[in-house]
This record gives sequence, structure tokens and C-alpha cells, in this order.
Amino acid sequence: MTGAQAVVEALERAGVETIFGYPGGAIMPLYDALYEHRVRHILVRHEAAAAFAASGYARTSGRVGVCCATSGPGATNLVTGLLDAMMDSVPLVAITGQVRSELMGTDGFQEADVCAITQPVTKRNMLVTDVNHIGASIAEAFAVARRGRPGPVLVDIPNDVLKARTDGNVASERREAGGAQARVSDAAVRDAVARIRSARRPVAIIGGGVRAGSAGLYRMFAAMLGLPHAATINALGAAAPGDPNYLGMLGMHGLKAANKAVQRADLLIALGMRFDDRVTGKPDRFARDAAVIHADIDATEFGKIVAPDVTLHGDLADTLRALIDELAREHVPRFDDWAAEARLMGGALPSDRVENDGLSATGVLDQLFAAIPDDAIVTTDVGQHQMWAAQRARPASPRRYATSAGLGAMGFGFPAAIGAAFANPAVPVYAIVGDGGFQMCLPELATLRRYDVPVKIVLIDNQNLGMVRQWQELFFSARYSATNLADNPDFVAIARAYGIDAHAITAPAHAADTIARFVASRGPALLHCACHPTENVWPMIPAGMTVDDLMEARA
Amino acid sequence: MTCDLTLRDVRSVARIVNLAHRFNCRTTQIAVRAEATVTASFAFAGPDAALLRLRAQIDRIVSYEANAT
Repeated sequence: MTGAQAVVEALERAGVETIFGYPGGAIMPLYDALYEHRVRHILVRHEAAAAFAASGYARTSGRVGVCCATSGPGATNLVTGLLDAMMDSVPLVAITGQVRSELMGTDGFQEADVCAITQPVTKRNMLVTDVNHIGASIAEAFAVARRGRPGPVLVDIPNDVLKARTDGNVASERREAGGAQARVSDAAVRDAVARIRSARRPVAIIGGGVRAGSAGLYRMFAAMLGLPHAATINALGAAAPGDPNYLGMLGMHGLKAANKAVQRADLLIALGMRFDDRVTGKPDRFARDAAVIHADIDATEFGKIVAPDVTLHGDLADTLRALIDELAREHVPRFDDWAAEARLMGGALPSDRVENDGLSATGVLDQLFAAIPDDAIVTTDVGQHQMWAAQRARPASPRRYATSAGLGAMGFGFPAAIGAAFANPAVPVYAIVGDGGFQMCLPELATLRRYDVPVKIVLIDNQNLGMVRQWQELFFSARYSATNLADNPDFVAIARAYGIDAHAITAPAHAADTIARFVASRGPALLHCACHPTENVWPMIPAGMTVDDLMEARA
Repeated sequence: MTCDLTLRDVRSVARIVNLAHRFNCRTTQIAVRAEATVTASFAFAGPDAALLRLRAQIDRIVSYEANAT
């Protein structure tokens, strides 16, 4: 077989059914091998969308997402998606074609040192120089992507290596022995439980680590203690539906009760989260009266931002199981009174007054979330709509919500929804996007049409790069520099030009009926919401500040 | 700060030097022996907080290389 055929066979051995990509010169042998193979290739219209679609696939399925691209510009277009996966710990394998070995270093056509470029944005990358190593390299890539803290791996294969012949057997033999996985220490678990027992105002914070498959255990842990708990944006869906002690997302645009409870806590139980600056604001004033129990699979997270009193190093599911078992050995403490007190710290979400009967984005999203099925998958892009959605969404599980959280990569939401739909063909998928980010990936409407993927796109069009506009209003004396998109195109016409059904809401009075028709429609569809241009996201803790500085309206 | 590392991939030496630069640290000494495994000794100078951050990132690189994380 050829090296390219060995790649496809290795993908099959890894259980891959779907890959997202875009062809080009150096990777043509791989596309030739895919021509008559069971691995399904989804042709996107830009390599960046391939990486984001693979991410959406991985985030909503727990499987490894796979994307591929040609050398040079094809490969460099994957970089943002790789970094997004690195930041949010998403298992991804990217396969890139490389120029022929003899051309490497000659500034050949479409040549780029992709391994050097992607070294900081991957867990590992590898240049395969021997056709007999292809199988092992692909197997290793999947192992590294999945193992421990998940993340992206890139495999770069020169064109001549893809064309070379191999018997294919050598490859599968060279399997890497993984290092020992950290097992959470019994002493640390006992210490953590002792601190929980003696706490008066404990708060649990769940982070993206829960996506690896520990939501059930987390719900059990939260329920047995009756303690108030909050989620980072990467862990939306971790709390049990209807759990009254779940206070919502915390952080810069988090819910007031979540932020206030964390600030008043005497014990933080931080589970699979990394104290991002959008969560802590000002770390030395963050939860300053609280002792900290920090559980994570990545030991380098301990003390990176917040100094922990107890560290629980290991897989989150194992850690939660150990905490539950240790708690169950004796009387289990309950924190119902404190949880009730924490719930009262919130109140209704503040919203902007929208002038002249304009369409409120938050009003639309409230109605949308009431209308979509409970088990729907929601992806979002980045910006104001992302925060409004995160404040309101109550996904059924962490794998029912995908957003570019750590990197905040605009253009993520729509292709991620396409990936999610391929991973979950029986589940309704909604992509909530803004007018800025949607225009970064408009051509993917063609992908939607070609494969008839039933993704529903909710376009919150406020004719602005809204989040930047909001910051310019609040922190840059309303000097609106390069944020006005009043000359946006006719999105409904664009969708229809691609053969996508399109609906539009222009006034609040039409919203409910239009949303109902949109949700009930079959196949892919766009819902264009012409929203008021100056609606802001509230509450807001300005960057580098704390909940004491929380803003709920314009000054 | 000094680090004596056993690495799997010699390219990590370059990555570590780049990280030091990114964190406003100076790499004052490097000694590398690249055979079946790579042994590398580094010395870095810089602000304490930056060195702490650099050390954590180096630990992550080593951990990813060891396939333990």
C-alpha cells in the first residue's frame, strides 16, 4: 500500500469515521486514498473551518476530532483551531501534507515549517519522514490527543512519503508506551474532605475538565453536599437540570449569585478548572477568605494563578469518586442554609433598556432557549451573544454546549455546529453567532447545503462588533473605532443564495412566531435577528477587578 | 534558576528558549546532549514570578513528552 493508504488505514484503526478538510497539492495522495475508502471526508470551504468543525465534533462526542489540510497556507490556516483546542483541552488530530522531502528547505511552493509553527499550539507534532512510520505516528497522535489532559496533535507528512510504498505492518507495531497516569492521593482526598466537613460556606466550581465524562459524578457530589456551585463557561451543562443550588456561570459576565457566593466562600472546591483571568479578575482579591482545594489532571495548573491549600492531581472522575467515597464514610455534611443564602445573592439578570421598540438580543435568546428542545446542542461564536447565551443556556450535559472559551476565536461557532451535527446526527444543533464572527465563515453555508446538515443558525445581528463596541463605550470614552458594521450585507439573501432556508425577525412582536417556525423547520436554516445596536452585556466585572466592582448598567 | 531535563524531543530545547524569551527571562546557559534521549541543562535569569511561570511551562512540556498528561 502507499503511505496515503496507510494513513487512512491508521485512521480506521483509530475508529475515525469522519474527517474535515480541504485538499491541495501536497496532500493529494491522501485525497486519492480517501476516494475509495470508508472514512468520510467532509469538504469545508476554508481550512480554519476544518479545525473548528473537528473541534465541534470532538467537544460534543468525546471522540477525537480529525482535520486535514495541505502544506503551507492550508496548514497555517489550521493554526487558530489548534490553539483553540489547546486552550480548551479538546482532543484533535490534524494531518497536513508537506512538500516533497527534496524540496524542504528550498522555499518551495507552498512550503512552511509547520512543525515549528505549531509547536506552541499542540501537545505534540511530528514530521513523518519514513513511510513505514506512518501507522505508528497516527496511532501515537491519537493516544497523545486523548491521554490525560486532551489536546491537539499534528502529523505532517511530505508528499513523497504519502506516495511511497509500505507493507503497512511495521507501522502498527511501534506503539508508544504511555507514562503512568496520575492517581489522586488518598491523603489529599482525606485532607480535602476534612476541609469540606469543617467549612461553613463552601462553593464548588466546575470547569472544562468535566467534559471528559464526569458530569454524573459531579452532580452526585454536588447533590450529596447540597452546596452552592458554579460553572466556568467550558462546563455549562455539568449541573443537573433544575438543580436549585446551581448558581450559573461565574466570571466577567457571570451571574451575580455565582460571583458573590464565590467571593464570600470560606472554601473553594475547584474541579477541573484553571482560574482563567476571565474567572478570577484580580487573583489576589479573588475569593480572598477561601481556602482552595484544586483538582486537575494537569499538575502545572496548581498554583499557576491561585495558590491551592490542597491539590488533587488526577483524572476528575477518579477524584470525584474518591471524594464521594471518603465523604460517605462518615456523616455527610449538608450546606442547604448556605446554598439558600447564596441563591438570594443573585436576582434577575439585568438587561439593557432597548429604545424605540428595537429588538433585544437578550429577549430573542430568552425566547429561543424556551423554544429549543432540552437535549439540543448549542454552539456559539465569540462576543456579546456568546455571553448572553452562556448566561441563559441550561444544556443537558457539557457535551451539549460548545464555545471557544479560552481562545475566544471568532468564526468558531458555525463550523463547530457543523462538526457537532456530524457527530450527533439525531440531535438538533443550534449555532448562535454574531454578525462579525458569522462573516468570518460565511462560505460554510455551502458545506451546510452540500451535506444537508440540519444546523440552525441564529444570527444576532447588532450591526456592530458588539463586545468591542461595549468596551469602547465603557472604557474608551465612546470612541467607536472600527466596530461599526452598519453596512452589513443582506444575510437572508446570502443564505438563500446558498440554498439555505432563511427567516427574519425585525421587531419584537414577530419574534415568538418566527422562532417557532424556525425551530419547527426541517433541514438547515438561518434566523436573522436584526437587534438593537447598543445593547450591552450585564452584569460585567471589568477586566482585572472583582465582584465588588460589578456593573449592572451603564453609569 | 537551573533545570536539568531529560527530553524525548530535542526540539523542546528551542521551545523552552522561546518561552524564556516570552516571559522576559534570559537563557544564560544551555548544554544539550542528544542521543537516544536528550539531556539538557539550562540556566535562566529573570524576575521570580516569570521564572516560576517558566518552570511550570517546562514541567508541562516534559509531562506532554512523557505522555503522562
